[in-house]
Amino acid sequence: MRSCLLLLPALLLLLALPDTRGRYNDEFDDGEDLAEFDDNDFAEFEDVSEDPTVETESEPPPRPAPSSSPVEDDEDEATVETEDGQDEFEDADAQYDQEEFEGYESKSNPSFKDTLIYREVPAHLQNSWESYYMEILMVTGLLAYIMNYIIGKNKNSRLAQAWFNSHRELLESNFALVGDDGTSKEATSTGKLNQENEHIYNLWCSGRVCCEGMLIQLKFLKRQDLLNVLARMMRPTCDQVQIKVTLNDEDMDTFVFAVGSRKAMGRLQKEMQDLSEFCGDKPKSGAKYGLPDSLMVHYIVNHADKIESIHFSDQFSGPKVMQEEGQPLKLPETKKTLLFTFNVPGMGNTSPKDMDSLLPLMNMVIYSIDKVKKLRLNREVSAQTYRYSNEAAQRREQKKMDKKQMKMKQIKVKAM
Amino acid sequence: MSANSMSDPRRQNKIFRYKPPTTDSNPTLEDPTPDYMNLLGMIFSMCGLMLKLKWCAWIAVYCSFISFANSRSSEDTKQMMSSFMLSISAVVMSYLQNPQPMSPPW
Repeated sequence: MRSCLLLLPALLLLLALPDTRGRYNDEFDDGEDLAEFDDNDFAEFEDVSEDPTVETESEPPPRPAPSSSPVEDDEDEATVETEDGQDEFEDADAQYDQEEFEGYESKSNPSFKDTLIYREVPAHLQNSWESYYMEILMVTGLLAYIMNYIIGKNKNSRLAQAWFNSHRELLESNFALVGDDGTSKEATSTGKLNQENEHIYNLWCSGRVCCEGMLIQLKFLKRQDLLNVLARMMRPTCDQVQIKVTLNDEDMDTFVFAVGSRKAMGRLQKEMQDLSEFCGDKPKSGAKYGLPDSLMVHYIVNHADKIESIHFSDQFSGPKVMQEEGQPLKLPETKKTLLFTFNVPGMGNTSPKDMDSLLPLMNMVIYSIDKVKKLRLNREVSAQTYRYSNEAAQRREQKKMDKKQMKMKQIKVKAM
Repeated sequence: MSANSMSDPRRQNKIFRYKPPTTDSNPTLEDPTPDYMNLLGMIFSMCGLMLKLKWCAWIAVYCSFISFANSRSSEDTKQMMSSFMLSISAVVMSYLQNPQPMSPPW
């Protein structure tokens, strides 16, 4: 009996051995037998979530990341198919640990947009006239300037000639010498205007009673300068005729008088030496003076648009001169003068026909010359004006003395 | 005859010759435009030649033209011509050195 009991385990062992050999030999045998065996031995390693068809091979140990992919049954080989086309290496980021490679992505993925720069073909390689458009503009501007110069110069010349033609008869009947440039040996009438500029014309008339001579200046607009033409579009101005009559000492009494537009009077009072010295009061309207209704007043009122200013003075010395430091005080030379400034009608758009409208004003000038000769102030007024002029002379002398004393003091200080 | 001489204001014995007004007495009456433009033209010409700036040379040409247009008849033409020649030479030299077209400043 005891021998039978010992034989049983031996028999069991013998039965188990051929099975194990079969497993190794039949590694890829039918899985069903293996599955039965596996269920027993590898039941603890089986994944619950796995499909029943998943082969749980005993020999290859289960993978640490078990895939959920189904496994084919047949088989000599075990194949793994991924669902949804997922690849084991699907995630490129999983290639490397991002913490180990900081900033690597930015370097390895440059922005290709920055590297491409489009350059224009240089202008000198283009071989076309169009690239020289700035030069063409410059030359066009120069041609426009030249054209305007020729046209403006011709217009001014025509206006001057038109004025002279309309006034020639009146001037030749009043003056022995009409037109003189001062260069010829004998005093003969040239009978033409002196051109000082492309826009300024002079005429000297002399040889008449009551005056030494009369200088007429036609100050036209700078029509020959394109810049001036453009500036006048912003601020319109008009052509002017300036007449300066110089008188002999016996031809005028002692007084200073001026009448004109408000703007012109304000400007003249500041600029002119004699007006600022002798006419210190603010310019007043003519109505406030209570002037009689005379021919002259009528004339001035009727032609007010053409009259810029009328200035009679026995102490005329021109505009104020800035006295330089250290220079000796020069007393200005005074001369008895009648000054007339007339505006040519048209406000810049003047035609030669407009020059005829200035003829009555020239008549007024001739009339004024004769009238001033005859005008004599009454004793009271004459004494007052004489006193004013004496006071002014004394003030000038005082200034001269003061300057001399200052200079002497400075010399003394330097010597010390 | 006597009546005619009485009514006729002309007097041959009272003729005074024309004396051009001196600039010393009235410096404010002179127009400084031609002198300024002349100077400006020379400065721009030198800038255009030295610094090889085309636009400087072109402005110098314009300044010369403006100076000429505003000049007085009594002025010396030699100075005007020299200013012209200088500005034109500045333009020519700028383009000989660099035939590229001028680029606008904007």
